Parts: sequence; structure tokens; C-alpha cells
Amino acid sequence: MQADDVFRNQLLGVIPRLRRYARSLVFDSPAADDLVQTTLERALAHWHQFDQRRDLLVWVLSIAHNAHLDQRRRDARLSVVDPERASADQDAQGGDPGVDVGLRIDLVQALGRLTPEQREPLLLVSVEQLTYAECAEVLRIPVGTVMSRVSRARARLRQFLDGSERSADGGQRGLRRVI
Amino acid sequence: MSNEERPDDALLSAWLDGEVEGSECARIQAWLQAHPEDAARVRLWSADRDALRARFAATLDEPVPERLAQAVWRRGRVAASGPWLQAVAAVVLLGVGVAIGAWWRGGAVRDAQQTAGVPAWTQRAVVAHAVYSPEERHPVEVSVREGDAARQREQEQHLSRWLTRRLSVPVKLFDLRSEGFELVGGRLLPDANGPSAQLMYQDAMGQRVTVYLRKADREASAAFRYDRKGDLGMFYWVEGLCGYALVGPQPRERLLALAEAIAKQDQPPSR
Repeated sequence: MQADDVFRNQLLGVIPRLRRYARSLVFDSPAADDLVQTTLERALAHWHQFDQRRDLLVWVLSIAHNAHLDQRRRDARLSVVDPERASADQDAQGGDPGVDVGLRIDLVQALGRLTPEQREPLLLVSVEQLTYAECAEVLRIPVGTVMSRVSRARARLRQFLDGSERSADGGQRGLRRVI
Repeated sequence: MSNEERPDDALLSAWLDGEVEGSECARIQAWLQAHPEDAARVRLWSADRDALRARFAATLDEPVPERLAQAVWRRGRVAASGPWLQAVAAVVLLGVGVAIGAWWRGGAVRDAQQTAGVPAWTQRAVVAHAVYSPEERHPVEVSVREGDAARQREQEQHLSRWLTRRLSVPVKLFDLRSEGFELVGGRLLPDANGPSAQLMYQDAMGQRVTVYLRKADREASAAFRYDRKGDLGMFYWVEGLCGYALVGPQPRERLLALAEAIAKQDQPPSR
């Protein structure tokens, strides 16, 4: 019982960072908190599997990653709409946000246009400031993959923010030179 | 790799994240100095990284929504603590204030609203207590109980001065001996946006309480508030530029007496 309460207190302590990650991943606050709640419930259901020598945040983030993945799989429509909707909402000028290259867009919109495979490692490394090894643990991918995805995500994000997506395959070969 | 070989973008990006070490790191630094275009690109990535951090930073200091705090405390506690579950159910069904007001009656000090609005930093105080108070060998970073009296006094002065300097608020080592608690020592801790500190006290039975101190977000005084998480109770308040949270497993009345003793003390202990 004692360990249980210690664990609950530890879990309580990581909620702010967990919320930040969920918010950066899902954009919509209520949906982000839904993801946090699902994550907390799963963490509690498996709390005895948590090795106290490990970093609780990394463990919980990996649960959040899986929960997010499940959510995307379960609701395929949401997975398509989510990032697109975020950009569409803020792109009041209209036009298909998927093709209106050349327009400058804001940070969250640009983030929304990254694939989830690019967005997650970029956020974990940039915002959550995990090491590549921790990020690899959360996403269950090799460190080398983290490195190439982060790099690719950065280049894509920059292209979106510059409004230079169209020229990416042409004059900006250097930007594409990733593993 | 020779110095002439161009580091690819994945390597430059990893360098930006502090993932490249040793001679490779030096090689990339030299490369960026010699290649302003690459350096400019890395600077843009770095600016994007800062912008991302800034964009989501505010979430950290939002109070934890009640439904999430409850998700942590609810599950699997049905058999263990009926009253607690009843309280939770009452909160869910009837709303926060009424149920809690009835639950925690009495006391000279106004109770916390208990739920929504508990500042995020107080969670860190609870976690810090849960993490360090069970420690046998390393409960504190700076101990004031080692060596002879002169050594102890020296350590006390050092601890107070050190924490005051790091927190940018006066850190007093409260004397709780009248309440039966001796200072063990203290440590520096990370808060959301800077340093915080924890002082640890112990009674004759080996029971511990901790005092968490942090520089307040703005100068304002706030009344004592009480909150309880599992086995741990907490009084927290803000006085001037400093936020305080007293955490321990003791009953509420006991913690209140300690919290009041702390609030009363304007002078560091003179031993």
C-alpha cells in the first residue's frame, strides 16, 4: 500500500509534463487531457510493472505514445482530420491546407503538417528535452532512427514555416540530405 | 572522417541536441564556423526549437485538472479506503466546495478548496517528500547533523546561505524543536522554472516532515491551505516572495501546528 501511494504521488508529479506532451501532440486541449487520462489509467493498471530505477516520465510518455497510436488506429478518421483540422482552423483564408504551399503558416499549423512519425520524436527531443536514447525508448525505435526523424522533421518544419515546400525537391537538395 | 567531409543534416541536428561528443563535436563546431550557410540553417532549427518550447511552456504551470488528479487517486482504492471513495464520489456528483467543506470541518485555518486550483508546484512538493523522506543514507544533500557542534553550525550557515543565493529569496532554517522536530538538512531541487529547496525535519520516532520552498510567481500572500494526497498531508501558503509547502504523513492538526510555527519565525534559529 505504501509503495502504491508513493507511485501515485510520483504519477501526480509528472502530470504537468504529460499534459504538455499531449497538448503538443493533439493540439485540442480536451482531447489532450483525454489522452492524459487514458495514460494515467493505464499506468495505474500496470504500476507494478514499473521499475523504480527507471525514469517515470519516460515510462509514462511511452504509455502515452501507445495510447495515442491506439487512438489513431481506432479512429482512422480522426488521425487524418486531426492535424489537418488544426491547420484548417487557423488557416482562415481558406484553400486546401494540404496543397496551399507558398503561404507562410504558423508554428502549430506547421507542426500539424508533419507526419506523426516525424512530430513525435521532434517534440520529445525539442520540447520534452529527452535524450535520443530516452526518445528511442519511448517510441521503441532505434536511436539512429530518432536521429534521422528529428532531422527530417526539423527540415520539413522549416520548409513549412518558410513557405518553401514546393521548392524542396528542386533547389534545396541540401535540406533533404538526411539518413 | 576528415575535417573536409561535410557533416550531414542528421549529424548537425544531433549536434544541436547535444548528442554529439568529443572530437566529432569539435569537428562540427569548426565546420559551422567555416560554413556560415550551414551555421545559419542550424540557428534556424535552434530558433524553431525555442519557439516550440515557448509555445507549450504555459501548460506546465497550469493547475492539474481535478479529473486527472482523481484519475490518479481513484483507481483500485475501493476496498482500501471507503471514506475516500465516498468523498471522491461526492465531489463528482455534487460539486467541489460543498462536499469538501463538509468533509474537512473545523480548524482555525481555512481549508484549501482541495481540488481544482491546487497550484502545480505543490504537487512537486509532495513528490519531493515522497522521493526523499524514505531515504536512510542520503535524505538530504547538505546535512546539519554530522560532526561536532561547531561543524553543525557551520553547515547550517552554509545551507541557509547557499539556498538563499540559489532561490533568490531568504531561506531560513526554521527551528521546530519546540514541536519535537530536529532539522536534518536540506537540498536544492528543480521547480518548473528554476530552483526550489527542501528542508527535512525528523522527530524522535524518526518520522519526517519536509518544507518545500520556492520563489513565488508574484509577490502576494496567500492563506494556509490544506490538501491531502493518499497518506500525505500538506499545508501550503505564500508569504511575500516565497511559497511554502509543509508535507508529511502526520495528522492534519500536527501539520498545522508545525506550519504555524514556521510561519511565526522571522529569525533563523540561533544555536
